[in-house]
Amino acid sequence: MSTSSQSAALKFEIVAKCSTTKARASILTLPHGPVSLPIFQPVATQASLKGLTPTQLAETGCNLCLNNTYHLGLKPGQETLEKVGGAHALQGWKGNILTDSGGFQMVSLLKLAKVTEEGVRFLSPHDGTPMLLTPEHSISLQNTIGSDIIMQLDDVIATTSPDAERMEEAMERSIRWLDRCIAAHKRPEKQNLFCIIQGGLDLEMRKVCCKEMAKRDTPGIAIGGLSGGEDKMSYCQVVSACTDLLPPNKPRYVMGVGYPEDLIVSIALGADMFDCVWPTRTARFGNAVTSTGTLNLRHASFANDTGPIDADCACTCCRPEEEGGLGITRAYIYHVASKETAGAHLLTMHNVHYLLSLMGKVRAAITEDRYPEFLRAYFRRAYGDMARVPTWALTALKEVGVDLLA
Amino acid sequence: MAALHNHSSLRQSSHPLLFVLQKSSTREDEPRFGRLSFQNRVPMDTPHYVAVSSRGVVPHLSQDMMRENTNIRAMYTALEDSSSTHSAIPIVTSLGFGMLEYTNYVEAIQKLRPDVVLGMGDVLFGHKPGVKRIDKMGDRTLVWVKELADGMKDEENGTPRPALFAPILPIEAEQQSYYLDALQGELVDSVDGLVLYDTASIDAIPKTLRHLPRLSLGEMNSPHKLLDAIALGIDIFTISFITETTDAGIALGFSFPAIKDTDLDTPLPLGVDMWSPTHATSLSPLRSDCLCYTCTNHHQAFLQHLLNAKEMLGWVLLQLHNHHIVDNFFAGVRQCIQNGSFEDERTSFEKTYTAELPEKTGQGPRVRGYQYKSEKSEQRKNPPAYRSLDDRKEKLAEAALPSPSADANDLEQQGFAEKAE
Repeated sequence: MSTSSQSAALKFEIVAKCSTTKARASILTLPHGPVSLPIFQPVATQASLKGLTPTQLAETGCNLCLNNTYHLGLKPGQETLEKVGGAHALQGWKGNILTDSGGFQMVSLLKLAKVTEEGVRFLSPHDGTPMLLTPEHSISLQNTIGSDIIMQLDDVIATTSPDAERMEEAMERSIRWLDRCIAAHKRPEKQNLFCIIQGGLDLEMRKVCCKEMAKRDTPGIAIGGLSGGEDKMSYCQVVSACTDLLPPNKPRYVMGVGYPEDLIVSIALGADMFDCVWPTRTARFGNAVTSTGTLNLRHASFANDTGPIDADCACTCCRPEEEGGLGITRAYIYHVASKETAGAHLLTMHNVHYLLSLMGKVRAAITEDRYPEFLRAYFRRAYGDMARVPTWALTALKEVGVDLLA
Repeated sequence: MAALHNHSSLRQSSHPLLFVLQKSSTREDEPRFGRLSFQNRVPMDTPHYVAVSSRGVVPHLSQDMMRENTNIRAMYTALEDSSSTHSAIPIVTSLGFGMLEYTNYVEAIQKLRPDVVLGMGDVLFGHKPGVKRIDKMGDRTLVWVKELADGMKDEENGTPRPALFAPILPIEAEQQSYYLDALQGELVDSVDGLVLYDTASIDAIPKTLRHLPRLSLGEMNSPHKLLDAIALGIDIFTISFITETTDAGIALGFSFPAIKDTDLDTPLPLGVDMWSPTHATSLSPLRSDCLCYTCTNHHQAFLQHLLNAKEMLGWVLLQLHNHHIVDNFFAGVRQCIQNGSFEDERTSFEKTYTAELPEKTGQGPRVRGYQYKSEKSEQRKNPPAYRSLDDRKEKLAEAALPSPSADANDLEQQGFAEKAE
């Protein structure tokens, strides 16, 4: 079976496969440079990663970040983006950008959005006038943004919705909208359109969607509609069912996932790309993601803790001054968190670096074919006793050949 | 660089800093070029400014940005504010108002070990002291400065003691003569510099203390005011207008010496309001000749977008730029003092630029409770970020489904999307 694929603006090559789990390490070459997968993509919603400069973002090791189409469409708007020359030129970012379709924000931010065959009807958050986002609008806007990966507009409904009929309609409509997106896409030689598999938690529906969408042969494939409050067990089943059916020579992107253990389990299930606002949002609340769990550094117990945020971390904040870092202490973060925005910038840097560095360790483990050992070590460190590892993780990993309790 | 002469007869053994002036002051009020050196620190040429910090950072700038993209040489950390009792001054903290006892101040200094500690001055802000109060000001300040000097005498582990800058009170020299005598007498080996609350206090500095570096805490709300104070012989400034203009979304845009433009009909603005939509598609840097991080890497359109979207990075980039402008301003000032053109250039600067900074038009960054003093019946500082759309439910229900093309035009007008054919 082929382990690589190439389209006009993308090259995907698998460099190693785990001999036990479904994990793969690969290189995704995009118009703004190669990205090693599996990867976590930080979310720079409005063309800026929460106070960090593009230079600082690059220093975390990031070469692929997200911008949100919905937000950029409102500010600065398509006309401005056109004049400025797209999102890369707007924010001075030399790496790759992925944009979503805008559809998710319609549904998640605007409770009054209504989906019809034509598109998503919603009220302008500025003046309340009724508006419509169609697959064609979404692609047109993403073409103007010039992102390296663009997403189809899909009909997203909560996975927890009990309405099977509506779910099927959404899945089938997403396929029809994919066709409209492909037809509307004006720059396939520069931008890669990814389809989005829908179908809720119904594995049969997911199968139909995978089969239909794979036929369209998009350069990459996303598994959508997840991370919306469903139980983790169902989440894992859907990811695993999809990766079994999807062509192995295409990158697989699971949207909206960012907790470290969700990432490493999803990777074992065969997923390659992830995004989530959690690491950067939680940073602004004073939370540091570390190898021993998430620490709320606003807690008084850190007031006199002069250790680094994470002793194992090599980010600009955690590295000592002798090694060119800032030697930032937990006590200092305690002192500035939620008081000065620079405190949020420091933790944002750390959290993004932490997740990217975790991805680096994952890649190394897959390449050296010791991913099962990596998983064991990770969970042992995080939980001490393997019996305390959540059931969903134990079950999902057991199904791909890693029994943490063995 | 011109040769520096040490006319101060400082005994380095007892003083943690060395301040040397380019030439000895023959007049009382003239601009001074000097060099301030601390052990294990890069020397700072004066006149210069110290960046005003909050909780250990210059607002908006994480330490890596400050280290790599600014020339900031020193930071000012404040603990004091408004009136006082015999042993304490009230301060604003992140936990509310409090009194700062001078004994606590001494303890804090012993722990914090700054390079320079400013003596607590018994100074009123916002109104003039009465006759009785004036009597006490010098006495209280003397007690506090003595206590501070005594508290810093331990030189354990070879750590140099912080340099002590003693207040010159904003009252007549004769009204604080007892205190000033002490500065020249018993405290002469403990005092390494002077703090002024008001530029006019320069007249109160005794002759024998004129060689000491002078730090101004006065309100200098424009470069013109800075130039006036430099002309009188102030060496170091804390400048609050840098962060204020940053928060207002204004990119500073002046230089010293001022650009020479003979066709100047109206004075040039001291800065540009980046909130103005006129910058929305401009690919030019904030200022064409500027070499700061922001101007080297970004354009006006991005700045305008970031402000408009209330993204924190907007204020980061403005803060870098604005500090760079002020850095260059002081570098220009020092050069002109050295080559004797300061007075001419000061006159030219006054003519070239407007007196005031541009008006603030846009919303600043989110204000934290401890960053301002609340007053009666004021408007809320942070407007709500989100509002409910529930009241428009009916409107949506009533609205006829617009035809796709009409909607697309709506969207296009909003800049949301272009109608695809």
